[in-house]
Amino acid sequence: MSEENLGLEPTALEERSRALFLDSVERIDMRTRSRLTRARHAALEAAERTRPRAWFMRMPVMTSAAGVAAAAVLGVSLWMHAPAVHHGPPPADAANFEDLDIVAASDNSQDNVEMLQDDLDFYAWAEKTQGGEPAA
Amino acid sequence: MPGFGTLTADWMVADSSAPATRGVVLEQTRALDKFLAEVERRAFRMAQMALRDPDDAMDVVQDTMLKLARNYATRPSEEWRPLFYRILENGVRDLQRRRTVRKRFMTWLPGPKEDPDHEAQDPLESVADNGPAVPDILMQDQAMQKLEASLRELPARQREAFMLRNFEGMDVAETATAMGCSQGSVKTHYSRAVHTLREQLGEVW
Repeated sequence: MSEENLGLEPTALEERSRALFLDSVERIDMRTRSRLTRARHAALEAAERTRPRAWFMRMPVMTSAAGVAAAAVLGVSLWMHAPAVHHGPPPADAANFEDLDIVAASDNSQDNVEMLQDDLDFYAWAEKTQGGEPAA
Repeated sequence: MPGFGTLTADWMVADSSAPATRGVVLEQTRALDKFLAEVERRAFRMAQMALRDPDDAMDVVQDTMLKLARNYATRPSEEWRPLFYRILENGVRDLQRRRTVRKRFMTWLPGPKEDPDHEAQDPLESVADNGPAVPDILMQDQAMQKLEASLRELPARQREAFMLRNFEGMDVAETATAMGCSQGSVKTHYSRAVHTLREQLGEVW
């Protein structure tokens, strides 16, 4: 066999060695053979238990995890963007006070009152007309 | 519109690869079982010759089977044999190293120098099965003992090359893969091993 690369037949030593070895293998006692068989079965079973599961077998777990993650993201998103809801009277914020200031600071407020007084006759006529009396 | 769960369930049902994959896995396990059954006895004898202890040899072979089944079961079956023997040789070498360290440690301790973990050999193990006549067996045993003794004298790499090439019948490329070296190194180791054995044993002993 050593001369295999040279194209020659194996030597007598090689043949004899191989024959002796194979004979010793054949004469392995039954107890050892039984132990080897048990060892083989144990190895295959252990390998089967630790074999990584195919990706499609892990899908139910992946689906559950993805569902939980999506629900969490949705909840956080809604919470972050929800409009503020207030119950009870609106607060007197700065904008309302600004409006009052504008009205109070108006220079021609007196003119408006006088204009209303000038039209008192008109308002009296309008009231009579709505009450069903014909206009004069 | 189907809900999330419904969509997933439909998809799972539509996937028909699961049973086919289970079939492939089953077939693979059977093929591996057949391969291991074919090599286990020769592997055990090789490990026993290197370690000179049947229990240690059994441990190494079992560990080799487990590692091959766990890590390389999905590889093409043509690769199993060189991978198996590579794992086996690594296991043998690791055990020999541990023994050397343990032996050094034991020399510092008082008491008997023998290995305390070594159990008494079961007498049943040495009983041969019914086979050839007793004189023939004795002659074969003596010849085999000489061969084993000579193999133990060889450097580890030469012994590995001789066992894999001659006992297991592996070609140069497979042996190179199993030994983790080049094909040229395999040829060199094997040639030197045969030369040394011939010097020690004669052409036919």
